[in-house]
Amino acid sequence: MRLEKCWFCSSTIYPGHGIQYVRNDAKIFRFCRSKCHKNFKMKRNPRKVKWTKAYRRLHGKDMTQDSTFEFERKRNRPERYDRNVTENTLKAIKKIDKVRVDREHRHHTKRMKPKKAQLRREAEKELEQSISMVKAPAAQQQDPSLTLPIKVKVSKPETVENRMEE
Amino acid sequence: MATRLQYENNCDIGVFSKLTNAYCLVAIGGSENFYSTFEAELAGVIPVVKASIAGTRIVGRLCAGNKNGLLLPHNTTDQELQHLRNSLPDSVAVQRIEERLNSLGNCISCNDHVALSHPYLAKETEELIADVLGVEVFRQTVAGDVLVGSYCAFSNRGGLVHPHTSIEDLDELSTLLQVPLVAGTVNCGSDVIGAGVIVNDWIAFCGSDTTATELSVIESVFKLRYHFFE
Repeated sequence: MRLEKCWFCSSTIYPGHGIQYVRNDAKIFRFCRSKCHKNFKMKRNPRKVKWTKAYRRLHGKDMTQDSTFEFERKRNRPERYDRNVTENTLKAIKKIDKVRVDREHRHHTKRMKPKKAQLRREAEKELEQSISMVKAPAAQQQDPSLTLPIKVKVSKPETVENRMEE
Repeated sequence: MATRLQYENNCDIGVFSKLTNAYCLVAIGGSENFYSTFEAELAGVIPVVKASIAGTRIVGRLCAGNKNGLLLPHNTTDQELQHLRNSLPDSVAVQRIEERLNSLGNCISCNDHVALSHPYLAKETEELIADVLGVEVFRQTVAGDVLVGSYCAFSNRGGLVHPHTSIEDLDELSTLLQVPLVAGTVNCGSDVIGAGVIVNDWIAFCGSDTTATELSVIESVFKLRYHFFE
């Protein structure tokens, strides 16, 4: 039993799920569910379909290059069974998964960081331009909370010691 | 000495087993008689390994190997790959290759120094064969047929090819492989040599239908009459 990846969306295909299509040139296409299979039959390119991993990787939404991905590659030259190596591998799998998830989370936060500043700028602009839709201009002068505080430069007040010197 | 045997009443034993100088692969299923015949001849000398490839019994036709390595098709499962790696000695490199032509036993015919390959094999596969098996690879056809593994069987000391191979072809192959070749049949006139007889440097096994004449031809071309263990 081997957990394969769906050709269309790149999710894992568990036993008992999905369809495998073998083309006449002996290339095997595995699909996790009929949604991916039907999209394939419609000849859609997974790189253009927004919800697939291929699109997300291509457009920088998800991590592309990372050393944790190297661990999951398919290997064609096996090594002799060694109990200790197997035990260590099983322990390492958990750690590697955790590291990968952490890195993906960091990638996501990094991607979303400029959003906060942009949202603030947009809000400021909207408040400046469109506040008249909410409250009349006359009311704004009476109620200072409806406008942004005007930034005024204040000189440093005389300290007590200086006055004393004078 | 050539031994006659059957797998579940079928004389194409080359389909269900693979014999090299370093190991012997045998299909699972069927009676233990098949396995016992190999064990009787080879027990202490080389490991006789029961295996399946891609969940099938046709191990002889799916894999290709010699004393240096074993090549397996891409649909060999991970568990089978691990089983073969554990059972075979470390001197044998076990490798799974991604190749469109799956039945490597039909596409590759080799001994310890030279290999014949199907003319349509991919370039990477040819390089892998040269690398893993440590052989020189020639893209050739045998008697006009591309499935070289099916229509010829050769060891380091001699070879048997399809009966309809022309004399020029025979000479050409003989110079390429550097072994004496003979065009003959096996299993009472069957021209699929690769399925009918499996051979290494000191022993050969063939199907029960093989006639005495064919047997004597096999013994003479593979030089099995001489007592190997003095």
